[in-house]
Amino acid sequence: MKYIIRFRKTGTICYTSHLDIMKVFKRAFKRTGIRLAYSQGFNPHPKMGFAQPLSLGYEGLEEYIEFETAELNPDAGRMREVLMEPLSSIMPEGLELTGICEGSWLKKTLAAETEYAKYQARIPMGDAAFDPEELVKKYMLQDEILTYKKQKKKPEPVLVNIKPKIRHLSAAKDGENMILAMELDQGSESNLSPELVITTFLEIIDRGTERSDIDVTRSKIGFAKNIDKNFQFR
Amino acid sequence: MNFDKLLRKVEKPARYTGGETNMVRKNPEDVSVRMGFAFPDTYEIGMSYMGLQILYNILNKNEQIYCERIFAPAPDMEALMTENDVKLFTLETKTPVDELDIIGFTLQYEMSYTNILNMLMLGGIPYKREEREESLNNGKEYPLVIAGGPCACNPEPLADFIDVFLIGDGEELLENICLLYDRSSSRKEFLEEAVKIDGVYVPGFYEPSYNEDGTLAEVKKTFEGAPDVIKRAVVEDLESVEFPVENIVPFIDTVHDRAVIETFRGCTRGCRFCQAGMIYRPVRERREETIFELAMKQLDNTGHEELSLLSLSTSDYSRFEPMAIKLMGLCRERNVALSLPSLRLDSFSFNVLNEIQGYRKSGLTFAPEAGTQRLRDVINKNITENDIYSAVEQAVELGWEHIKLYFMIGLPTETFEDLDGIAEIAGKIMDINYNIRGRKGGRFRVTVSVSNFVPKPHTPFQWEPQNTREEFIEKHDYLASKLRIKGVTFNYHETDTSNLEAVLARGDRRVGKVIEEAYNLGCRFDAWTEHFNPQLWQKAFENTGIYESFYSHRKRSIDELLPWDNINMFVSRDFLESERAKASEGVTTEDCRQGCCGCGVNKYTECFVNCDTD
Repeated sequence: MKYIIRFRKTGTICYTSHLDIMKVFKRAFKRTGIRLAYSQGFNPHPKMGFAQPLSLGYEGLEEYIEFETAELNPDAGRMREVLMEPLSSIMPEGLELTGICEGSWLKKTLAAETEYAKYQARIPMGDAAFDPEELVKKYMLQDEILTYKKQKKKPEPVLVNIKPKIRHLSAAKDGENMILAMELDQGSESNLSPELVITTFLEIIDRGTERSDIDVTRSKIGFAKNIDKNFQFR
Repeated sequence: MNFDKLLRKVEKPARYTGGETNMVRKNPEDVSVRMGFAFPDTYEIGMSYMGLQILYNILNKNEQIYCERIFAPAPDMEALMTENDVKLFTLETKTPVDELDIIGFTLQYEMSYTNILNMLMLGGIPYKREEREESLNNGKEYPLVIAGGPCACNPEPLADFIDVFLIGDGEELLENICLLYDRSSSRKEFLEEAVKIDGVYVPGFYEPSYNEDGTLAEVKKTFEGAPDVIKRAVVEDLESVEFPVENIVPFIDTVHDRAVIETFRGCTRGCRFCQAGMIYRPVRERREETIFELAMKQLDNTGHEELSLLSLSTSDYSRFEPMAIKLMGLCRERNVALSLPSLRLDSFSFNVLNEIQGYRKSGLTFAPEAGTQRLRDVINKNITENDIYSAVEQAVELGWEHIKLYFMIGLPTETFEDLDGIAEIAGKIMDINYNIRGRKGGRFRVTVSVSNFVPKPHTPFQWEPQNTREEFIEKHDYLASKLRIKGVTFNYHETDTSNLEAVLARGDRRVGKVIEEAYNLGCRFDAWTEHFNPQLWQKAFENTGIYESFYSHRKRSIDELLPWDNINMFVSRDFLESERAKASEGVTTEDCRQGCCGCGVNKYTECFVNCDTD
């Protein structure tokens, strides 16, 4: 049976990559004795996957992993106790499971249904005054926001306009920091990495801020046709 | 300092974060001894080393001790740490290492020595033992710097940098040392008390002097209570010491990412070049039931998908067949892959391998070590060409397509005929495949890997000269031309690395000056091909006036006092000498399971504990 677990990734475990977190879950299933369904073929692998990869170093507040069990199929009333609690108890620090939802109603994978995501970047601005709204205006008033992007199968980065993939952008002041809130296309149809927005935005700010001074958090993953309305996490 | 800022800039930041499954968390305030277990290489290498997991587990089971891990930062992290004034830290609590009570380095290979100096410096600790003794660190003593592991059986090259060497099995010794340190009221009192324990060598209590020809003249004691000869520590019964079942599970890929059970320690085969085969004697087994129990617990607690057995020769376990069959079943039930390294290839092993590898067969490995029977007799490697050929025949019939062969060159008495023998074996294996599979032979290939012989202390070859750079290069070229056979790949080890390894392995205390100079010239990670810089090492030898060839290429006389003569690894000097004499006559010595060959170990401890010897 299919289930979705919602989780948070915070703290130093953010420096463990997407693929390695996948292994953490794989081993956690193995340790709890929850047997997953396996794919067929020469190289069978357990049926599980994240809604969206999360970049190395990013915090995630509402991440999703879906998986298919092979033998334990608790109903919605018991899935928390049977599946989530055993897993929760052995998760490494920084991976916190916040809910489980039955998933047999899903027609495609969560990854295939992902359309957009919300990110917040915390940018230190130093002690000189700044107007966040002005900066956002200046950024979004550009006809095109051009930047170089590495593309698959091409050796040289390609100049792309990222503006059409920015769904929403706003900024607010938080002491000496600016919080840049982004809602960006994500998924297989159209995808924009927040890194490209951050680096182009830093050019507008023009204060020599280093990328390594900026924290990034993903607070939400948005799905097609609002399928998340069907989420009933327990 | 913002730690996150560093982590965002480095490659593989999870090398430095800790927090893995089964990492031990303690409040440092609640313990009386804080020990840092330091592996002088990167996280991925260190975390694949089982000894770390064994000792980490034992020390942390003790409520008085908190053992944390320290690894060498990769060059990118080192640069950032230096730039931002961040001291080397422990993974568990990010404590700067100079705030610990004890730092213990594990000496697994000689080429890691410069990293030890670097790690101390990055921790704000002078790397010279005397400097640490003579100065204070913010009004406090510097941490005690100790070292153990196989390379400690010749501790002299590191004697200027290390306060205490622990020689032999570490399970009981290391914990005792930590507790004694805690009980002692001063460094001096601790050292004077510590030398009473077997396996403890305090280099500061010994002063070597040299003859005009450069050889060691004598070693004077500066503290009366220090022993003349340091007896190694030994765990007589493996069942009596804890083996970990809650191993730390790294987040990132390491060299070996799997559950591991040590089935036995020691080896009875007596290959004359092999240091491990001498210094880990006697054979001591873990009981079958214990192995199963430990394996299942480890798999339960780690979620690993692979289980491997650890020993010097897997199939020499006394009840290997029933043990392997049972383990295969247990692993199959759990969907866990079983890996059995260094199997002797008899028909049983083939059945086992066929079963556990199925259609996804890895390469089959043989280590004849030498190309002719004559030379194999010299080194006492008891494998014949017929053994190899009949095993290859079976392997080809069962569908194996890759044979790996390991040889060593530069062995004592070697001639070019022995090198011809290497090419002959590779060629004959190709022929066997053609005979079975027809003229095209499929995708079958043979890899010949050649390493350069490095004479090691406490072996029958400890007096032997190593080949020079030129000799090795000539032999590599010769082999390359002989091995131009379709389907055969030829690999060999870097010559400069092997030559340096020989100096560090059999060096005396003066070699420490070269290590220090090389470190100051910028040498780090010498075990890594991409970081090893032989020119800098060359310069270090020149600057210190120390001759490389004195240590590596000189045949040492049997009367010469060797720098490690005061370290007693239990194998007797008489045995080593007699093995050396037999080698020169090409006479073999039987595996001691067939009957005692008098190596002398049983003078100190019992052989074959827990073995099923019929």
